[in-house]
Amino acid sequence: MKQLQVEKTASRGIAVAPVYYYQEPDLTPEDRGISEEQVSGELEKFENARKCVMEELGQLAKTSEIFAAHQEIAGDFMLQDSVCTRIRTQGKNAQLALTESIEEIANLFAGMDDEYMRERAADVRDVGKRLAARLKGKKLPDLGSLQEECIVVARDLYSSDTVKMNAHFVRGIITQEGGVTSHVSILAKMMNIPILVGVQGILEQVRDGSLVCMDAEEGSIVIDPEDEVQKQYLEKKAAYERERELLLALRGKPAVTKAGKRISLCANVGNVEDVRQALPVGIDGVGLFRSEFLYMERDHFPTEEEQFQVYKEAAELIPSELTIRTLDIGGDKELPYFSFEKEENPFLGWRAIRISLELREQFKEQLRAILRASAFGHVRIMFPMIISLWELGEGRALVEECKKELREEGIAFDENIEVGMMIETPASVLQAHAFAREADFFSIGTNDLTQYLLAVDRGNKKVANRYDFMHPAVLQAIRQVIEAGHTAGIKVGMCGEMAGDTGAVPTLLEMGLDEFSMSAGAVDYVRSLVLNN
Amino acid sequence: MVSRKITVTNASGLHARPASVLAAAAGKCDSEVIIQVGERKVQAKSILNIMAAAIKCGTEIEVCCDGPNEEAELNSLCDLIAGGLGE
Repeated sequence: MKQLQVEKTASRGIAVAPVYYYQEPDLTPEDRGISEEQVSGELEKFENARKCVMEELGQLAKTSEIFAAHQEIAGDFMLQDSVCTRIRTQGKNAQLALTESIEEIANLFAGMDDEYMRERAADVRDVGKRLAARLKGKKLPDLGSLQEECIVVARDLYSSDTVKMNAHFVRGIITQEGGVTSHVSILAKMMNIPILVGVQGILEQVRDGSLVCMDAEEGSIVIDPEDEVQKQYLEKKAAYERERELLLALRGKPAVTKAGKRISLCANVGNVEDVRQALPVGIDGVGLFRSEFLYMERDHFPTEEEQFQVYKEAAELIPSELTIRTLDIGGDKELPYFSFEKEENPFLGWRAIRISLELREQFKEQLRAILRASAFGHVRIMFPMIISLWELGEGRALVEECKKELREEGIAFDENIEVGMMIETPASVLQAHAFAREADFFSIGTNDLTQYLLAVDRGNKKVANRYDFMHPAVLQAIRQVIEAGHTAGIKVGMCGEMAGDTGAVPTLLEMGLDEFSMSAGAVDYVRSLVLNN
Repeated sequence: MVSRKITVTNASGLHARPASVLAAAAGKCDSEVIIQVGERKVQAKSILNIMAAAIKCGTEIEVCCDGPNEEAELNSLCDLIAGGLGE
């Protein structure tokens, strides 16, 4: 019996099943040159492989459009021309000519501006793999031919692997590479299959057919379990499935407490894809759109237009409220294209609104982008890390300045856009009454608030066990903020991890919190707590 | 050789679907079919070539046919493009 523990998890569910070891054959091309007499033979080899693959894809295309596109690529004139030229004029064997041609074409797509086109590079490589396997006389592993329950273990899985996957038999997925936002993660969550990704060493630890137990939420994997352990996992699995069914039955029900108060259940998201995934869960809106990812993923400050496109897409997807937090950078988050001075105490340093108010040009571009998106949905602006009324006032003044510009340019936006703030500093808690008169809403960021109130660095292993959002001081602060907000007649939400913590939710409901914003996966659990409180 | 200029009207340009319709139609022609986009020559019989050209909505392209039935084939290809390539 061997055990593995994974830190980062992004799905739930438990599986106990034998491993289907999904491994690609070695498709490295032969390196030999060819003589003139061999040219026609190599051309023929390629032609035969192409015909077989076209036929194979033709069969598959009957059930999936993706394969119809792959069939077209396999039969494409440009590909054929590129391979044959390499064989004829450069003395390359068919395998090498194919590999080079595929890379050349795939790179052409990979280098394009348009994301859709970039993704086509993967299609080209998929077809290349199929042709290469045929040329080498190797068999590609096939998830479509699964006939028994299994946990699929692979280095990584691409769309071409999973599209034909016979999901009916797949109880779980474990990959050695890939992140929680990779294609296969998203797909598995959609299909409600437990998945663990980035599991170092899994490929060496298991063989085809090894019995494996996995708990996707805990991140635990047991290989060749003892009977007792296997029994425990099977019991956990049954309990999980019962609970899951009860929770799913509640989707679509408005979250109303027993006392009759309607609670808003929202999702925290980092990009538009997150929004898409959160929608089926039945959310009342997005309580936190982390705009910093837009800044971190690029090699330059995103332009107003780039930001606008993203915010607009999100706003159009969400029928209800979309709360966009302005840039929250610094602390532990840096930008690849902007140099931050080394700081003694980054969490007490130059970060979030403090940066925005100094880099005014960039801040205004962001505000203009948000304002423009507000014409397409119910958008709200939220400032992070506020400690003084002056900061809030400055932020609001810039919003007004941007509104004036847009008005003059004749660009549409929501004149009544709400401007709120995060409560995540002790100063904002103590001054909550004053802030509540100037802000349109509050959202309590418990992650930072807890560490500032308790003077505990979450990232420091020595003291991390002292980090506790149920500490009486934190609870008292939250209660005070909610009361201050309600006295001034504004809504108070929460977008820290605490809002999705099943142990904390009943307390927060009792305190009168109006909105809970959390990762989409927690919404079903919090909804059931709201309905029972 | 005959040729004609025409503007692409597909909202998202010559993406996968319209590109495949165009490549299939061009593939049936006896003529050699070249699409001139600015400086670039695109082999219309190749879906990869068409997609790689990333032709956007509103772009003016020149369709050139060279072959025994060039006149008729040019007409039918231009009709197809003007009609939105099945979109």
